[in-house]
Amino acid sequence: MDRIVQGMDIKEVLKTIRAADGYYITNTARDLSQSDFKNRILLHTDLMAAESREKANYFSLEITGGASVHVDILRKQVDPFLKLKLLREKMPHTMFQTLCRGVNLFGYRPYPQNVIRLTVREFAKYVDVWRVFDFMNHIPNMQAVFEEVQKAGKILEPCICFSTGPEHTDEFYVSKVGEILDVTGEDILLCIKNHGGLGTPKRIGELVASIKDKYPDIVIHYHGHNTDGNDIGRITAAVLNGADIVDAADHAFTGYFGPPPILSVIQTLSDYGKTAVGVDADAVIETSEVLRNERQHYEYFESQFKGFLPTVQIHKLPGGAMGSSFEQAVKGEFLDQMPEILHEELPKVQIELGNYWSVTPGSQILWTTAVNNVLGGERYGNCSGDLKNLLLGKYGPFPFYKPADWIYEKAFGPDWKKILEEEGGVEDIEDMDIEKERRTLTDRLGKEPTEQQLVTYLQHPNDAVEFFKFEEKFGKVYTLPPSIFLKRGGFILGEVLKFTDHNGKEHHLEIGPKQKQENGDTSVFLNVNHHQRTYTMAAEQVAGATQAVTLSKEEIEDLGKLGDMRAPFSANVCEVSVEAGQEVAVGDKLVILEAMKMQTPIIATIAGTVDKISVKIGDAMKPGDKLLKIAGADEDE
Amino acid sequence: MKKKILIANRGEIAIRIIRAVQELGNTAVAIYETPDSEALHIRIANEAVWIGDGPRSDYLSIEKVIKAAKEHDVDAIHPGYGFLAENPDFAKACEEAGIIFIGPSSEVIHNLGNKVIARQIMADAGIPMVPGTQNLSPGKDGENEALEFCAQYGYPVMLKATAGGGGRGIREVHSDAQLKEEYPQARSEAKAAFNDDSVYLEKMVINPKHVEVQVMADAEGTTIHLGTRDCSIQRRHQKLVEIAPSMIPDKALLDQICETAVKAAKASNYFNAGTVEFLVDKDKFYFMEINTRVQVEHTVTEMVTGIDIVRTQIKLAFGKKLSFSQDDIQIRGHAIEMRINAEDPQNNFMPEGGKTVTTYRSPGGYGVRLDGFVYQGFTIPEVYDSLLVKLTVHGYSWNETVDRLRRCLRNYIITGPKTTIPFYLNLVEDPDFQKGDFDTSFLETHKHLFEYKEDISEGSKLASLIAEIHHKELNPYAS
Repeated sequence: MDRIVQGMDIKEVLKTIRAADGYYITNTARDLSQSDFKNRILLHTDLMAAESREKANYFSLEITGGASVHVDILRKQVDPFLKLKLLREKMPHTMFQTLCRGVNLFGYRPYPQNVIRLTVREFAKYVDVWRVFDFMNHIPNMQAVFEEVQKAGKILEPCICFSTGPEHTDEFYVSKVGEILDVTGEDILLCIKNHGGLGTPKRIGELVASIKDKYPDIVIHYHGHNTDGNDIGRITAAVLNGADIVDAADHAFTGYFGPPPILSVIQTLSDYGKTAVGVDADAVIETSEVLRNERQHYEYFESQFKGFLPTVQIHKLPGGAMGSSFEQAVKGEFLDQMPEILHEELPKVQIELGNYWSVTPGSQILWTTAVNNVLGGERYGNCSGDLKNLLLGKYGPFPFYKPADWIYEKAFGPDWKKILEEEGGVEDIEDMDIEKERRTLTDRLGKEPTEQQLVTYLQHPNDAVEFFKFEEKFGKVYTLPPSIFLKRGGFILGEVLKFTDHNGKEHHLEIGPKQKQENGDTSVFLNVNHHQRTYTMAAEQVAGATQAVTLSKEEIEDLGKLGDMRAPFSANVCEVSVEAGQEVAVGDKLVILEAMKMQTPIIATIAGTVDKISVKIGDAMKPGDKLLKIAGADEDE
Repeated sequence: MKKKILIANRGEIAIRIIRAVQELGNTAVAIYETPDSEALHIRIANEAVWIGDGPRSDYLSIEKVIKAAKEHDVDAIHPGYGFLAENPDFAKACEEAGIIFIGPSSEVIHNLGNKVIARQIMADAGIPMVPGTQNLSPGKDGENEALEFCAQYGYPVMLKATAGGGGRGIREVHSDAQLKEEYPQARSEAKAAFNDDSVYLEKMVINPKHVEVQVMADAEGTTIHLGTRDCSIQRRHQKLVEIAPSMIPDKALLDQICETAVKAAKASNYFNAGTVEFLVDKDKFYFMEINTRVQVEHTVTEMVTGIDIVRTQIKLAFGKKLSFSQDDIQIRGHAIEMRINAEDPQNNFMPEGGKTVTTYRSPGGYGVRLDGFVYQGFTIPEVYDSLLVKLTVHGYSWNETVDRLRRCLRNYIITGPKTTIPFYLNLVEDPDFQKGDFDTSFLETHKHLFEYKEDISEGSKLASLIAEIHHKELNPYAS
């Protein structure tokens, strides 16, 4: 029997793969196209495809992880656990796969050990294959997740992130594999993570051969992107040199920066006498027949920049960053400078910063630095906090060489050596008081959260609370097809919408007129299951009309010097670090604000006693809003 | 001649009265406070007068109501229930202003509103009453009087503030020791709360039925009754469900109660419509009080007798004699009224004011009567009571009536505020209710009535998102 099914343990899986004649395929549905598009595919669509995907007999379906946990709650408004549960019902045999950002899990910042443990434990109820990576290929950054996955009895798949350049030799990667095996033992799958789709087929073939040469029994899973249009070549080379599992996607959803089509992989390798073990090609085709019709509803989210991008070999920016980088360029009006940024500055920055792997969050650091360098006029004149952390080694040691001293000097000033000595290195993260978090969440929800809600909350606190409240109000919206959920421009009067809710009840909804009322509210009339209903939409706040007096940045700073701490920008409060009555010194952390996924501590600018706290966790702040007051220490002291 | 009648009330009862006024060919004048600017009663009335911003204070202002009545040259005022309805000063102000007050005289209202005077009148007339004392003497003497009373009648007893009302100023006492301890407290508390430290004792009747009798009396003193109602299903002295006639199987007892009610009304020189309330303890019954106004639950009596009580009230007020005799009154079948309130029964009947009614679909058909003031799109003012609509059903047999009620409750769709409907849906399924067997302890002894799932269906939740998408022209949560 060469079929691999959910529930098998790693030894059984390894034994089956080693004994099989041919290679296996993972359907990377989560990673479909590396633009906003992939983050929008609704569970409704995945459920439509579930039956034929199950029938196709893949090694695994990558359906969670990466940014998906976040976009599930932020964009699709679906519970990431419910998603897996519902898919599991329709796909009882196929293994589900996740992508885990090492110590950053599914977020953007390192998590404490106890949060990692809890998160892995909850997700392991649904997730079979755990692909784990670190953008610095720093094994200790992944070790906690390795241990938890193995403890949970799930299939661990550590990655070596791949890139190109003189340092990126076979010897280097083979030694990295050794480092991994030293901590995990031999019962793993090894992933070659080629997220940018870098290198030629020849290069990938050599790499696979070198690893197999040193570790003949190792099972290799090749993951690549088709950004340059050549991933089928790389996959072919990988399999011919001994890779056992490869990643590809449903052809109706491929194109532009995503994985290549599954069917093309099968057809190509078949000519080399290699069989995709167990894969039912008819089911692969059937899936795409289902998906093709759905794609139109996602059109708005497709990358505006169509076509293949062989220049990825120069700038190495993974597809994930491509869409957003162009979007940024359009908004920031520097589209004309993109060739310079991508093809000159970015390669230069990569080499200057140690030629590490351009993948989350490292790719964002490279991109931001290159943009700042070009637009700012002075190279490294304005170093982001993340770049400083990178330079300080907080993400792990540089793999090949450290950036030059002058970059450190630019970033930290003349005392850079002292700063590096005092603050450098990976920091230990203290365990979080999870029970305290549970209580906070209980307060915010007004009821006891489930364990899964708590885990979701620990990943993305504010967005999770927003989502839970959304679900309370609007129900399980995954049941709405994309033609409704992603509808732009409103519906047509008299349009009839039909859908089946989470409880299996069918609904018939007819769009009625909209009417603006005297007070500015709008009444929307809908015929819900043949009953007329009125929905009152509150009038939008007219800009300026009712706006409070806003304080300037200088005014906010001046107030801060008097102990009246105000929010310097629009943000949500994600931590209140002090209590009323507490003594604080200059430089003490008072409150942490979160905006655009970045956390910014608000620091005491005077010493004194915390007097009155005006905010609590989750509050939305506008610039100038009161945070707290510090009663200054007596001047005589 | 065409009369002009001002309705000194709001909500469903204002509409009920306006309808009767208009059916008689008269002109209905509504009054309203600012929060009621969108209320239905002012749309239905022939004229509407704004009397102030309120809330409540202007509906309760004798001066403002009389002023509005004078300015609009009205012939009579109907006070409805609540607000000024049982305020003798208001009836007196009408009398002094030469406006007919649709109800008894101010003197009758005053006498029956004062517990001690009312008890005295009833005692003199030989009306059975819960054994009780006069106002207790001050100090130690009062305590001794109390102990003596309890020795004779036994515990438990109720220690009541004479000036109290509406359930306030009442203490349950179970022993001599407790009586000694609480007696002085009750006095000082009554002083603080009602500026009158008079208190008296009453034997406590445990889990009685609340049975009341509708009476009508004309100016010549002809007094008849329209049979019984049972209002035992209450929460904290607030009636929820009322039926007519009472389901007590002992017909002789009910006849006796009705006769006693007429006797009580006559003893107090009663005029116009009123309700004599009794506590019924197995085969014993005790006079409680006379309500000198139209009751919320008058509809059930109307359904089983065919008598329009409000129409009759108006005619009597204008000096007409009763046009029917006691022998004309026939009780046909059964009627049940349920007060559909904007309240959350699961949250201690917390009012749901301030919410907008997004869907309003009411049942209809044979034997169904609705007295309400709510409409789709109406925002329930937070400052008044939470009664939305009274659902009254009438049927030939009790079973038929319950079946009709169940059908109506199931057909009712009100979204926006939470309502008492799901609670009532449980109630109609309860075997004791189906047998017509209930007393004032019903809610405490039938806790399962509160166990239901609030039906905010997935469909309506999803529809509200679709409304957002349609309004914003994209999904603001997925943009």
